[in-house]
Amino acid sequence: MEYPGTVAELTERLRAGGYLADRGLATTMLMALALRRPVLLEGEVGVGKTEVAKTLAAVFGRKLIRLQCYEGISTSQALYEWDYARQMLQIRALSQGEATDEQSVDKLFGPKFLLERPLLEAIRSGDRAVLLIDEIDRADDEFEAFLLEVLSDFQISIPELGTIRADSAPVVILTSNRTRELHDALRRRCLYHWIGYPTAAREAEIVAIREPGAAMQLIGKVVTAAQRLRELDLVKPPGVAETIDWVRTLGVLGQTELTADAASDTLGAVIKDRDDLDLVRENLAEIISGA
Amino acid sequence: MPDASVPDAGVRHGADPFTSVLVGFAHELRAAGLMIGTGDVLTYFAAMTPLDPTDLLDLYWAGRATLVSRHEDGRVYDQVFRRYFLDEDAPAAGQLPLDPESVAEAEASLVMPGTEPGPDDDTEDQERPVLGWMASGVDALKHRSFTACTPDELAALRRIMTRMRLTPPRRRTRRTRLTTGRGTEPDLRATIRESMRMHGEPPKQLFFRQRKTKLRPLILILDVSGSMADYSRHLLQFAHAARHTSARVEVFCFGTRLTRITRELGRKRIDAALEEAARTVVDWDGGTRIGQSLDTFVRTWGRGSLGRGGVVVICSDGLDRGDPEVLAKAMERLGRLCHRIVWLNPHKGDNRDFRPSTLGMMVAAPHIDLLLSGHDLASLEELAAALPVLG
Repeated sequence: MEYPGTVAELTERLRAGGYLADRGLATTMLMALALRRPVLLEGEVGVGKTEVAKTLAAVFGRKLIRLQCYEGISTSQALYEWDYARQMLQIRALSQGEATDEQSVDKLFGPKFLLERPLLEAIRSGDRAVLLIDEIDRADDEFEAFLLEVLSDFQISIPELGTIRADSAPVVILTSNRTRELHDALRRRCLYHWIGYPTAAREAEIVAIREPGAAMQLIGKVVTAAQRLRELDLVKPPGVAETIDWVRTLGVLGQTELTADAASDTLGAVIKDRDDLDLVRENLAEIISGA
Repeated sequence: MPDASVPDAGVRHGADPFTSVLVGFAHELRAAGLMIGTGDVLTYFAAMTPLDPTDLLDLYWAGRATLVSRHEDGRVYDQVFRRYFLDEDAPAAGQLPLDPESVAEAEASLVMPGTEPGPDDDTEDQERPVLGWMASGVDALKHRSFTACTPDELAALRRIMTRMRLTPPRRRTRRTRLTTGRGTEPDLRATIRESMRMHGEPPKQLFFRQRKTKLRPLILILDVSGSMADYSRHLLQFAHAARHTSARVEVFCFGTRLTRITRELGRKRIDAALEEAARTVVDWDGGTRIGQSLDTFVRTWGRGSLGRGGVVVICSDGLDRGDPEVLAKAMERLGRLCHRIVWLNPHKGDNRDFRPSTLGMMVAAPHIDLLLSGHDLASLEELAAALPVLG
C-alpha cells in the first residue's frame, strides 16, 4: 500500500491503526516517508516511540524489522552471520572429489548459508519493510558509527558475496531514551522529533483508542491520577503505556471506579520502583482525590 | 537582527521569496546559536515539497524536525520561529502567501514563551549569597610556582605515587580475538585451518573467539582554585604520576576556566612538567566556576571520543561561584556522556557519612557514581583500588 501524501491523511491512517499522532509527529513522519530519511525519536519512557513504527508497519502492510540494541551488540548480531554448523555439515557431506571442486567450495559461502540479521534483512526488503532500531542509546558508540555507514548508503558489503544494496530505502525509525548522548553525526543523518508526555485530554483520547472497552469516566480519572504521578519526584515516572496498562488492569479486576483500594491494589501497573511505591502510597489519597 | 534579504549572495540574486525567507530563517537560527549546516537547510527545502508551504504549522514542524537535532535546542527554535514568522514586525511577515487560518492556528497551538525573559537572564551579575565555605570570586590571573613545595615532601609523595597504578575499567570492543579457552563464538577459520592441517579430517578441537577488551579513557579534572590550594599541589603530582603509569589519561584543570594540561604533564621530569603546567594555567589560586568549566569540557572535549564512555574523576570541593543551574546541566550531560563520574572532595576527609554542605556538591551529587575524599595518600590509593571495578 502506498504511503499517503498529506499530513491529514497520514494522521487519519495512523489513527485507524490505533495510534494518535499529534501534528508535529505526523509532519515529521510524512517527511521521513517522502524523503526516505531515518527518523530519530527521543522522549520519555513509554510515550509511544516504538509504537509509531509498529503501527506504521501494520497500517501500510509493511514488514516490521526490529533491531533491539543493547550494550555490546556486535555487527554480526545486527548484520549477518555465516551458518557455521550447516557449513561444517556440508563439508562433511562432500566427497573427496567434490571438496576440491571450486564450485562446491563457492557454494559454502552462498546465500544458503547466510543467516540474515535485521539490518541485512531490511536492506534486502527495501521499501517493503519498516526498520525499527530500538534504544540506540544502549549500544556502544562504535556500533553507532557502524550504523551511520549503513544508514547513509543503505548498502552492506559482505566480503564473500559482494555488496548488497537496497533498491529502495526502507523507512527507518530510531528510538532513544537519552541514557547516553548520541553522536552529532548520527543526529545529522536523521530527522529529529521529541515525543513528550501528552496533555490530559489527549492522553484520555489515546487510552480510549487503545482500550475501547473502558468507560470514559474511569479513563478520565486514571489519566488525571497519572498526570499527578508525573508531577511527583519519581525515579521512573509513568508513561502513557503505563496509563493504558493501569486502565486495562482495573478493567480485568472489574473496577469501574478509581477508589483508594482499587488504586492501591493496582499500583504495580504504573509504578515500577520500590522507593516510588512508598512515595506514592504516602500521597495516594491526594493523587486520586478529585480525580 | 540581520535583514532576511541581505545575508546570502545566492538569495539576493533573483531567488523567490519562499527561498529567501527560509534561508533567512536558518540564518537567524544560526545567529541564535544552533548548529545548522547547509545540508540541513537543503533537507528543510526538500521536506517542504510533500508539505504545504503556505501552512505555517507545516513550516514550523518541518524546520523543527530537520534543523533541530536535540531536545534542548527546541526552545531556542521556538523563540526564533515566533520572532521570525509571528511577531508584529517579523522579517517574514508579508513575504509569504501564508494561509491566514494556519497562522491563527499556529499562534494558538505553538506553546512558546513570548517576550518573557529566560530563567538565566540578568542573574549573572547579581551578587549571590555565598553558601558553605567562602569561595573567592577573584579571577586572579597570576602564576603560581609549583616549585615552591618543599623538595622532601614532593620526593616522598612522588615515590609512592609512581608505584600507584590507575586502571580504569575495561569495555568490550567490536573486535574479537582467538582464545585458548571457550569463547563466545566459534572461530571457523582457525578450526578449518586446523582441519586442513589434518588433510581435511574433522577437527579434533574447536577454536573459539572472544571479544577484545579495551581500557576506558581516564579523565582527571582538577580544581586549582583558591579554596583548593592546600590540595591542588598533591593532586597535580598525582595526575602526573597517573599520566605516566597508565595509558589513555587526560588531565584538565580549572579555576575560572578550563585548561588542558595533558601535554604539559607529559614531560618525564616532574618539576619540568609542573613548571610547564603552571605557565599554561593562568587562573591558579583564583575563583571557581565549576559549572562553566565542566560545561566547557563537555562542549569542547567530551563530545569527541575523549569523554565518551570514559571514567571522569573530578577533584573539587564544590565551592562554586557560578550559576548552580549551569553546574547541574553540565553534570547531567557529563553523566550521559561518560561511563562513570568519580568525585574527589578533600573536605570529605575520612568521614564515611559525609553530607555535602556546599551548594555545588548538592547540585552535582545525583550524578556522581562514587564520592571519595582524595585528601591524603590513603584515599588516593582507595581511588586506585576502586577504579578497575567501576564497570
